[in-house]
Amino acid sequence: MTTSVLEAAVVESSRERLQDVLIIDADVHVHESPTEMAAYAEMPWRLALETAGTLPERYLDLPGFSPGAAELGPKFPGGQGPARMVKTASQMREELHKLSINVAVLFPDHLLKLAVITQKEYAAAVARAYNAWLIDRWLTRAPGLLGCLIAAPQDPENAAQEIAKYAKEPGVVGVYLPTAGVDPLWGDRKYDSIYQAAQDADLPVMLHAVQLVHPVFPFQVQGFDTELARHALAHTFSMMANLVSMVTTGVMVRFPHLRICFTEAGISWVPFIINRLDKEYLERRREVPFLVNRPSHYIRKFYFGTQPVEEPESPMDLVTLTKLYGGEDTTVFASDWPHHDFDHPIKVYQLPFSPEVRRKILAENAMRLFKIDAQGYRTNT
Amino acid sequence: MAQQREAIAVAPLADFPDGSHKVVKINGREVGIFNVGGTFHALPNLCPHQLGPLCLGRVSGTLDRRPETGWQLQWIHDGEIVTCPWHGMEYHISTGQCLAYPEVRLRTYEVWVEDGMVMLRK
Repeated sequence: MTTSVLEAAVVESSRERLQDVLIIDADVHVHESPTEMAAYAEMPWRLALETAGTLPERYLDLPGFSPGAAELGPKFPGGQGPARMVKTASQMREELHKLSINVAVLFPDHLLKLAVITQKEYAAAVARAYNAWLIDRWLTRAPGLLGCLIAAPQDPENAAQEIAKYAKEPGVVGVYLPTAGVDPLWGDRKYDSIYQAAQDADLPVMLHAVQLVHPVFPFQVQGFDTELARHALAHTFSMMANLVSMVTTGVMVRFPHLRICFTEAGISWVPFIINRLDKEYLERRREVPFLVNRPSHYIRKFYFGTQPVEEPESPMDLVTLTKLYGGEDTTVFASDWPHHDFDHPIKVYQLPFSPEVRRKILAENAMRLFKIDAQGYRTNT
Repeated sequence: MAQQREAIAVAPLADFPDGSHKVVKINGREVGIFNVGGTFHALPNLCPHQLGPLCLGRVSGTLDRRPETGWQLQWIHDGEIVTCPWHGMEYHISTGQCLAYPEVRLRTYEVWVEDGMVMLRK
């Protein structure tokens, strides 16, 4: 029996006619091996990547490349199985086809942890190598695959140069801001050159975290006994912390045309943070005098990825949660394929949204966020 | 008289050593066949969570910790649990009971060994 892990999805999606629905996926992951990227790095960083390529590569955990401790917990038999990885553009196209996803925006695996690399020059060199590798090896080889440049927070000027360099690249539709372990948070003015470059290039910035145990707020999650607790909080806390940071330093006031998207934290935290910030604003407006309206006024213009979509007993709760932040026009479907907590589009398709809102969330909002047409061609170059 | 559902020969018994499991396609439907300690069980290869291919998952035991055991960590149901490879939902193979959601219990198929063949009734 050679049934692949995705074959059941094909059966089901034909039953649900998912293949007749346009689905644009704001978050899927490629597996970047340091060995492959080395060819795109300058000396002497090429040697560092070649050396990293000789070390045992564990999922999101490779010394000197994606520092982590993912494998340190106790292991028992069974469970979900080994981490899924996508290593080529053709593999990605084939798997996305089985998931009925028409157009997808690529993010990295290991480099979800880029922000915790301590050496500024190395981080910037890795980011440059990744950008060149992604464009050459993925974006030009398979229709429907689009990508985000990675912006190394350690060297904002270099990140800004990268954005300007690739501003008109047909497959580049966004700038990924590594959010796991970033210090200071993304509202800091040291990152303004990145935002200026992204706004000038008409590319959205995409915040994306990953679970990390790291002595930087809000990743000090060592106090929790379980992976359940750490994972539940790491993504959501980092999105909340960075959203609050960006709103309270006025990123969206300094860069009024910048499109900003928060990913991989679900959506149920958004109504909470809106209401919390609006309440604080009543009393402390003078600290943020550049805000001429409630924080919610600005946050309603941000975009939010669905994954990992919450699964309340009553699916209608998600429709209500979306309304609470005006999310009908700003929520974008994201699968996070091939990661352990990916969402099949059927999960979002089946939610009791109106047909109009369902179309928006599955594709139309992403077309506006990334400025692409239904085939994935940029409309702003 | 109610018509007896058809018995289908799935595969030779030799294809299912003790502790093994496989997914077979029967009239277009995917069924997971499990040999748990010499007793056969069959479940649909479809996790009701997000329609993942449940029976392609690993078979193992699972962990327990509750007041009756003094909150000590226990390894239980060894060889009796299948875990969906998509999102890790666990099911008790012989009953189809989902461990995370009490209200979810998969249908089971009647499966037995006859003349050296594993037989299944849909």
